[in-house]
Formats: sequence, structure tokens, C-alpha cells
Amino acid sequence: MKVSKNELKASLHKAFEGLGFHSGDYHNAADMVIWLETHGFYGFDRLLAALTYLNTTAPVHADLSQDDGYNFVLDGKGTSILLCGSEAVDLLRAASKADSGAGLELINCYNRTFIIQRMVKAAESNVACVAYWRQLDYCVKVSVEAGDFLPEYKTFSLIEEFDTQSLRIFSGPSLGIIENQFKQYLKFGSLIDTYESVKMEDCYRNSLEHGVEIDEALWKTLDDLVARVLVESTELSRAGAGD
Amino acid sequence: MHSSIQNTGIQSEVNTLSMRPASQVMQLDRLGSFHQTRLSFMRTLVRRMVTENWQISTPVFDLDDQGYGTVVYQVEAKYGTFSYVLFSHYLDPECRNDRVIADQWDLTMALCEGTVDVEQLEFLRNNVPKQEAGRVDSRVMVLSRANRSARTFEYVVNELTNGRQPNIDVIAEVGYLYRTTAAYGSGKLGMADWEKVWSKHRDFARPFAAEMFTCYILRHFSMEQAEYLASKRAPKTAVKLDESIKRYIGIGNSTGLGMAPFLINHPLLINQWVEMRETALARVVAASESGVQKETLVRLDMGAKRVIQHLSEIVTGDERQHKSNLTVQKELHLMRLWLEEAGPELASNHFVWGTLIEYAEKHWHVETQEVINTLLIELYPELVDELEERMWVDECHDVTPEMSVSDMISVIEDKYDWALAIDFSKQESSGAFWYRSEEKMEPRLGQTDIDLGMEKEMPLGIGRRVRDCYDQMCSYNLAQPNQNVAHFIIKNPTRSGIVARMQTMAKSRYGDIRENLLHTDVLPIHLLRCKLSFFGVSKFDPRSRLWVRNTMFQGAPLIDDFGKPLCDDWQFPIKPIFTAD
Repeated sequence: MKVSKNELKASLHKAFEGLGFHSGDYHNAADMVIWLETHGFYGFDRLLAALTYLNTTAPVHADLSQDDGYNFVLDGKGTSILLCGSEAVDLLRAASKADSGAGLELINCYNRTFIIQRMVKAAESNVACVAYWRQLDYCVKVSVEAGDFLPEYKTFSLIEEFDTQSLRIFSGPSLGIIENQFKQYLKFGSLIDTYESVKMEDCYRNSLEHGVEIDEALWKTLDDLVARVLVESTELSRAGAGD
Repeated sequence: MHSSIQNTGIQSEVNTLSMRPASQVMQLDRLGSFHQTRLSFMRTLVRRMVTENWQISTPVFDLDDQGYGTVVYQVEAKYGTFSYVLFSHYLDPECRNDRVIADQWDLTMALCEGTVDVEQLEFLRNNVPKQEAGRVDSRVMVLSRANRSARTFEYVVNELTNGRQPNIDVIAEVGYLYRTTAAYGSGKLGMADWEKVWSKHRDFARPFAAEMFTCYILRHFSMEQAEYLASKRAPKTAVKLDESIKRYIGIGNSTGLGMAPFLINHPLLINQWVEMRETALARVVAASESGVQKETLVRLDMGAKRVIQHLSEIVTGDERQHKSNLTVQKELHLMRLWLEEAGPELASNHFVWGTLIEYAEKHWHVETQEVINTLLIELYPELVDELEERMWVDECHDVTPEMSVSDMISVIEDKYDWALAIDFSKQESSGAFWYRSEEKMEPRLGQTDIDLGMEKEMPLGIGRRVRDCYDQMCSYNLAQPNQNVAHFIIKNPTRSGIVARMQTMAKSRYGDIRENLLHTDVLPIHLLRCKLSFFGVSKFDPRSRLWVRNTMFQGAPLIDDFGKPLCDDWQFPIKPIFTAD
């Protein structure tokens, strides 16, 4: 079935609220899901994967375990990027200066692809970002130039062993400064694939024109989560609506 | 993005104009006293339709002798073609209910892009009558429904059938033949997203333009159906409605709590609407720097006279509104006297409108003040009308993570002093809570510790959320001075939403509505009236503190007036003088 972006957003807000997310968190999480889905990054599949965890525990946020003002380590404690991605990128945005950047390692976290939307959001406020993480046996690298609306998404072969559930992000005033300042960290193997920004744009335009395709089972799952924030209707409660 | 480009041009002007402060304008009782202005969405839509001479044809008019069936209006607007598809159904009078929870209506409608083929019409026929229980697709821009007025519809049809015009007093008491109970847009139920509407369809690229258009065409249909039924019942003797009566027939509207959360959840948009209205008023005041022309004074006097008549013709059972209407009439009489006595002098009076506004603020009821402001704005279309293009803003609440916590505390103390002034230790300050009912997710207002559902409260108590965040931030700043907002949120992640809101709204001129919506005695009706005034409705008739009846497009030009010189003087509609043959 097809749904609109606005409809999806309203449903996701309430569904995440039903999972115990607070305002702010549920806005950010909904934005991440919608952005990924409408730009061809399979946001719904990733949401389904996230729900298996989110549905079993109260919301968990990351802890800041190292902080020297420019380099941070956040411990995700097994949580989803839907709950800790905004905080991670906001720390970096705050630490980025006019002529230098900052770096962050987010350990023990899941659903890392969702971080792309937060990076795009940072780019809107003129902060460039680069992130990479290990996915199965390859490495995903995402970069967004300050001021750009779409990221560059590439996959590379692995040349270093790093934790399967961690994520490294760097921020700065421009990609050039980031690449220069953090070159010792930004080393990748051979290029495997590129997801072109023109395809992201096409996907977005198509979803705007025709709606977003969503599996009815997932829509039903969201409805069930939404039901958690609804209150039983009684004769007394009808009086609270004007009767 | 679109709006930020538009708005940069006006920012320097706004900074130099003498604008009313947020502490005055954003009080809920003042917002709840607003009336329609030239910038209201119905007014701007009508101006556009008439001046651009939109063409409305009727490729399908398939009604039976009872007036049930299908009608399709095809709309040729300036930039595009649209179809307005309407289904008229039999409705058991026992089932006629204006509430959101209703599931049957006399009429259901959809506004679609382009033309509608047989296949799409069938799809719409299977879904539009179901409203929330159906699904439509992104070719649909608005979904709506309406119920007949039990008092006027059959009466008007009977009169026309018998070759007579309806008594204008009967029309005046109600104001319409049909009431709309909802007009959904912005992507609900699978419809086109607002982003698609504004980026693809310039004719409706203003807030609620498509929704207002849906109600306007409903008005047209309501009269066409009445005339059609009369002609079916008495083909030889039936008459058509007199044009002056037609113009005086509007569309009824019932608005309840469902609209209230919108104002809290879209603070940037409300700020934008208010800022444009206030910009218009400030421009008008600035224009009177060297006095005003005599004919402008005469037009103000005529406007006041019209409002007095308009208010005197409103029938409302709400005592508070009735008293307010009487007070406004009395005070407008005083204003007219002042205009009469001081007229010659006023023509050369320095900032005469500023003097009038100041006098009204000191001596008259808040609703009189806002009626006067509306009348003043009406006098200067050349200064005001271009603001109609600036009524939209891209809404996004962003955290500014680099801001220091101490600076953030100062921002809260400066911009949210109204919230910090609320004493939440008093029971009545948290005596109400908002929740969504499982019945169509209808927003409802509950009494704390009495009604069920407090644990599922909607986060509409901005004042209390500000207070809680402020207290936590002050404690955090004492324990860990010199930290920034990003660090505060890491430690207090549940505050990210209210922090983003406060930081975003602090950059706006008017900011949040200054009211504790959790107070035992909160009057949500002010929220409804505020939004309805920007829609452009008139004749407010509160039915309780939770819902209000009103009239849309009463007095507005008819489709036959499109392309003719525009008489843009239909606000505060008054009974036409009509003498039956």
C-alpha cells in the first residue's frame, strides 16, 4: 500500500511514542526512517530490524565515556542509532570549529545506516561529516559536504579489523578539512560500489509524487504501536471532546 | 527553504517597523479574539479565483430526484486543471453527527489533481464516502464531508419549489445550507503531501488553500443542489435563488478540539501567520505617520458600522460570546463618535492609527481592539496583500548544540519568562491533560486524577515542559559549569525535544503561545478561534469551551463573479436588503 510522507511521519511519531520514546527522540527517529526510505536506503527494512530490539526494552541512550573536547567515545550500550544518533552528531556539531573538526567513535550500537539522515541534517547547518562502519565483510563510507542536501555513499573492501557494531564519525567545516585532519583514520580498501546521489533524488521525487510504498504488515505493526498511546473511549471521555 | 528565501526580504523591514510585542500578541485570550483579515486564507483564495478568472465546469451532474448521486466539477485554474468529485448520499437524520467520530455524512468530497477518468471515479466512489475508513492516493489533495442544515436546507428547497425566495431572516439565523465537519489535506489517508501540493500546484501553494477551495465549491454545490431539487419538484413554478441571497449563503463549520493540538505542534507556522498579520498592522500604523485621507476615515467608519450590524445579527447561545458581541458593538459606536467628532483634526494627526490602537488598548475590550486592528488592515490593500505570499514556513525544530548551557538558561529566562511565571505547585496549574482517544484518535481534554489516560498524555503542556527542563538545566549548570547543550542532552536525553523547540522558537519574533494548556480552566476555544480567524471564518458561535460553530465564505463572491471586477469587501457579512417580487 502507499502512504504519504506526512501520514508516515504522524504514524511513526506515535508508534515511537508507543515504544516509550520522548518528544525529540520520536521526531528524530521518524525523520531518520522516512529519509532513508524515501532516498532508497530501505528505511522500512531497517526499522523492522530495529523494532525487534526496541520492542523488548525501554529506550536506552548512549553514555559519553571519553571526551577531550574534540574526540569522543560514546557507548551505545546496545541501543539503536534511532535513539543515540542525534546525540552523537550533535556532539560533533558542537565541537566543530571554523578551521578544524572533531571525531567520535560510537561503540556497541545498531542500525547504523540511520546515521546518514543526521549527517545530512548537520550538513544543512553547514557542518560537513564523514562516517564509516563495517557491514558484514565490507566497509560503508558516507560523506556529506557542508551545505549539501545529499550524501555520497560508497562501499569498500576492508583493510583493517574493527568492531562490527561500532561507527566512526568525523565532522568539520568542509570535507577537505576533515580528510586532511583525520587522514590516518580515513583509509579504505578498493571501491566496491557507489550509490549515486541522482538515484537518491529520483527515489525521493517518486515517493513525493506517488506516495511511499509500505508493506501492509509493517503498517499494521505501526498501528499496533500507535494503539499504545490511545486512551479507551468512555461516555465520560466523550465529554472531554465537547459532548 | 522556499520560505526562508521569501522571508529574508522582509526581515529588515520587520526590524524597523513598530511591531506589537510577543508578550501582548501571544496571549491566548487575544489570539482567541482575532477576526478574519485580508490575509486570511479564504480571502486570498477568493481574490485569486476572481482575478485569475478560474473556470468551473460540470462534466458530471448525475443526481436523482432526491438529489443523491455523483457530481464532478472540473476546475481550470491559472496553472493547472483539478477535479472536485462529490458524492451525495441519503443519510438517516438520526445518524447526522458533526463530530469527528461520525461515520456517515450527507456529502463526501475529494479534490483531485488533473481530470478524473471512469476508473478513478470508481476508485473514489469506493473510498471517499468512507472518509477515515477508506484510502485514497496521491492524486487526491483534499478529502472532506458535509452535513445538511436541518433548519435551512429543506426550508430553502420548499420555498424555491413554491416559487418564493427564502426569508432572509431564516438564512441569517443559520447562514448556510450545509456544514462541513472536516477538510483533510496534507497527506492524510494516502493523499498528496503538502510538499507535493506546493511544489507542483502553484494554484494551491498557500497554506490550506486547497482545503478552503473544497469548502468554497461545497458552498456552490449546496445552492445548485437546492435549486436542482426545487426544479425537479416543480419544474414549472420553481425559481432560482436570488443572487444577493446566494452571496449571503455560506458554509457552516463545526470545529472541535482536533484543531487545538495543531497550533501547539506547529509553532513556527503560527508564528509566521501572526508575524505577517502584525507586519500588516505595523505597516498600516506607519502609513498614518502624516495623518490619513478623509475618505480613509469614512471607510473605517463604514467598516465599523458594518461590524456592528454583523455582530447584531449573530445568534449565539453562548453567554460569554454574546456579551462580548454586545460590548464590541457599544465600543465601536464610541469609536464612530470619536471619528465623527475628531474627523477633520485626525486627517492631519501624527500616527493617528497608533493613537487609536493605544486608546483601544487602554479602554476597550480585547475583542474590540482586534476588530479595530482588522478594520485598519482592511483599509490598505496595497500595503497588505503582498504578505499573503509569506504565510508559509518550513517547519523544523533544531537543536543548537554548541550553545552554552548558561546561555540557554538566559534564553529561557528571556523568551519563556511567561512559562517560568506559572506556579506548577498549584493543583489547578496541572488540572487538565490532553490525550488521544481510541475513537479515531480524537484529541480530548481530561481532568487530572479523574479521567483515565494520564499516563498517555500528549506533550502539549509547553509551559510545564519548559519549567522542568529549566530546573534540570540550572542544576546541571551548577554541577558542571561551562558545558554546552550537546553535553546537557547526552546526560538528559528526554529533554532534547523541548530544547530544540525553545532554541528554534527563541529565534522567531513571536514564539510560542503564552498559555498553560494544562490549567483546570483552560479555554481551548481560543486556540480554535485563532486558527479559524486565519482561515477566514466569521460568526463565531461557541457551543462549549471545546467547540465552536462558524460560517465560511458567507458574503463571498460567487463562481459567476469570477473574472468580473472584484468586490473584496465581504468580511463581516451582513443581511442583504432583499425585496421579494
